[in-house]
Amino acid sequence: MLRIKSLSHRYENENLVIDDLSLEVNKGEIISILGPSGCGKTSLLRIVAGLEKPLKGEIKIDKKIVFNQTINISPEKRNLGLVVEDKALFPHLSVYKNIIFGIRKNKQQKQLAEEFLNLFKIEHLKDKFPHEISSGEQQRTALARAIITNPDILLLDEPFSALDKELKNELHEETKKIFIEKNLTVLLVTHDENESSFFSNRVFKFKDQKLLEI
Amino acid sequence: MNYLYLRTFSFWKILPTLTFVVFVSPLVIVLLSLTGDYSDNWTHLYNFVLGDYITNSIFLVLGVGLISLIIGTSSAWIITKYDFFGRRILEWALILPLAIPPYILAYTFTGLFDDYGSANEFIRWMFNLDSSFVFFPNVRNIFGAIIVFAFTLYPYIYLISRAAFLNQSKTLTDTGRILGLGGYRIFINLGLPMIRPAVIAGLMLVIMETLSDFGAVDHFAIQTFTTGIFRTWYGMYDLHTAMQLASLLLLFIIVFLVLERSSRMNAAYNSPVSNANSSSSEKLNGSKSFLCFIGCFIPIFIGFILPILELSRWAFTYNTGFFNESFFIQAKNTFLIALMASIVCTVIAFTINFSVRHTKVIFLKRINPFLSVGYGVPGLILAVGIVQMFTYLDKGIFVGFDFVLTGSLFGLLLAYLIKSYALSNSTIESGFERLSNRLDDSARVLKSSGWNLLLRVHFPLMKTSLLTSILLVMSEVVKELPATLILRPFNFDTLAVSTYIYAAEERMFEAASPAIAIVVIGLIPIIILTRMIKDSKDTPYLK
Repeated sequence: MLRIKSLSHRYENENLVIDDLSLEVNKGEIISILGPSGCGKTSLLRIVAGLEKPLKGEIKIDKKIVFNQTINISPEKRNLGLVVEDKALFPHLSVYKNIIFGIRKNKQQKQLAEEFLNLFKIEHLKDKFPHEISSGEQQRTALARAIITNPDILLLDEPFSALDKELKNELHEETKKIFIEKNLTVLLVTHDENESSFFSNRVFKFKDQKLLEI
Repeated sequence: MNYLYLRTFSFWKILPTLTFVVFVSPLVIVLLSLTGDYSDNWTHLYNFVLGDYITNSIFLVLGVGLISLIIGTSSAWIITKYDFFGRRILEWALILPLAIPPYILAYTFTGLFDDYGSANEFIRWMFNLDSSFVFFPNVRNIFGAIIVFAFTLYPYIYLISRAAFLNQSKTLTDTGRILGLGGYRIFINLGLPMIRPAVIAGLMLVIMETLSDFGAVDHFAIQTFTTGIFRTWYGMYDLHTAMQLASLLLLFIIVFLVLERSSRMNAAYNSPVSNANSSSSEKLNGSKSFLCFIGCFIPIFIGFILPILELSRWAFTYNTGFFNESFFIQAKNTFLIALMASIVCTVIAFTINFSVRHTKVIFLKRINPFLSVGYGVPGLILAVGIVQMFTYLDKGIFVGFDFVLTGSLFGLLLAYLIKSYALSNSTIESGFERLSNRLDDSARVLKSSGWNLLLRVHFPLMKTSLLTSILLVMSEVVKELPATLILRPFNFDTLAVSTYIYAAEERMFEAASPAIAIVVIGLIPIIILTRMIKDSKDTPYLK
């Protein structure tokens, strides 16, 4: 599903944060990437999403090249899902409208929305705005919004780190169930080793700007 | 960073580039006039008036700069450091003179202080004096002009100094006190030097506004560059020489503009001490409290209350004719052109700022600040440049037609856009800065980009900034005089033009209605500014 080959990246006038990194993720696999702050794990996720342009390398999603020396497909054309730590819900839209944001051209928009509102147990919040709901409910909305588009790969950047332990455990269980049920390919970036081992088929750690399977 | 897919032509790159070309062209045309021939009129200018233009302009700048510096910084210091009677009201009321354009204060000053003006009449009535007795000195001179400019423009220094004083650590002033500095010496030796860059930025704005003015200096018959440009063009019918004069003034303005920009970049020296315990004010009682009140009240009285009283007297005297037909026509013209200019300006600024954010192309980021340069350029220079540019276009492109652009509403609209873009840009830029980039990332991954992202995500979130921008530009356009005077189409009168014409004909009572309307509209940004000062918090979707 995802194939990264010899990827390197650096920020302007800085040392390499990713150096000659390669990674293959199969369909339905959940991969975790561990590492301390600033090691390059978020950069890797942003590069896969197309939000940052790497120095060199090749990225294929579903056998299609999305980046190499001559091609750079924009994020909106990569068919991915992204959930970040601060959720980035659109504050001017209700929960319902946030969820359907990415499927505006889908004729089954209503049915899909109902299904995902139920799946994430937020049907009673559909008319509420992001600032009117709790942090856990916001995270459920963000996950629903990302998964409803049926992405080829779901990118998760520390999605549960802002939640308290109890809520985190509850969401872990439910979310993993949904990932498996929907046969999602997931790339999870986290600094929590328990979280990575709970979710993932394989766990990688950043070492010397490369990924090391542990 | 530069995305490969953005290396192609796109609307998001073309719009800012095109706007840059259109905004800068009139100024380039004015400057290029220096390389052309010099007519015989230069001999006249050189022998008789150029010296006056230069000395009067320098004298004005020095006088206005000094007085507004004293008023602006001392009132900001008093308001920030002391708690006294009326402080809460004076804090925002000190900005009110910004609503009065210098030319309106100049008109009311002559109405008040001329030999038979209301102030002298009042003194004669009060002390039962002879009708030939004159108490107040003549204001129709450069000293009168200095007072007029200083008392309408000091809020620029007040605003920026107050913000800088607020950020000053109390620990530093406390240390000064322990080291023996007291009262005004802390202000002179410590407070003021620490905010010097901020003060210079405010001072440069005051100087640019002074050099740009036409209405007030024209009313007081003072020979400056702006009146000189106007007379060379309309008196000698020599546009080329007028452009060359405008170039000289523009070169001065560019120097002040560069100084203002560089000062603003570091508006206050970085303090090594934490600002966590920033200044709390010292409670004053009795005579000290009264003195502080009077000290802050005088600038508001001269710069705002006095002209309002005089305008009200004119309006009351002119009673029946206040809202006549011509007033409504001028008000309608003013409102429509101001609305049009403010909407177009806001749309351009919104789209360009979105382009900068969306494309992340460094070139666009670099040219955006240059689009704001027009704010510091006198309206008269813009008018000269636009007339010349439109003449070239009419002759070069619209051959065979009568004048298509020259004398049309487009010129006026363009002048307003160039002059007001900075207001729109700063409002919208700060609005965008408050929106987290994560929202854009999420939207793009959810297949929303370009227009879709602009209209579905940014537009709803930026409504307050967009509305503020529209109101700010409207109030600026309503006040603008010299460019309007020159570029307005035939028979198209606005409130500012009408005030100018009535005042030029000494029909002051009739000038009351348009002048009051201008002041009322000018109060809009003041109210917005006051609200911003009171409550800097905004919507819940901040970064």
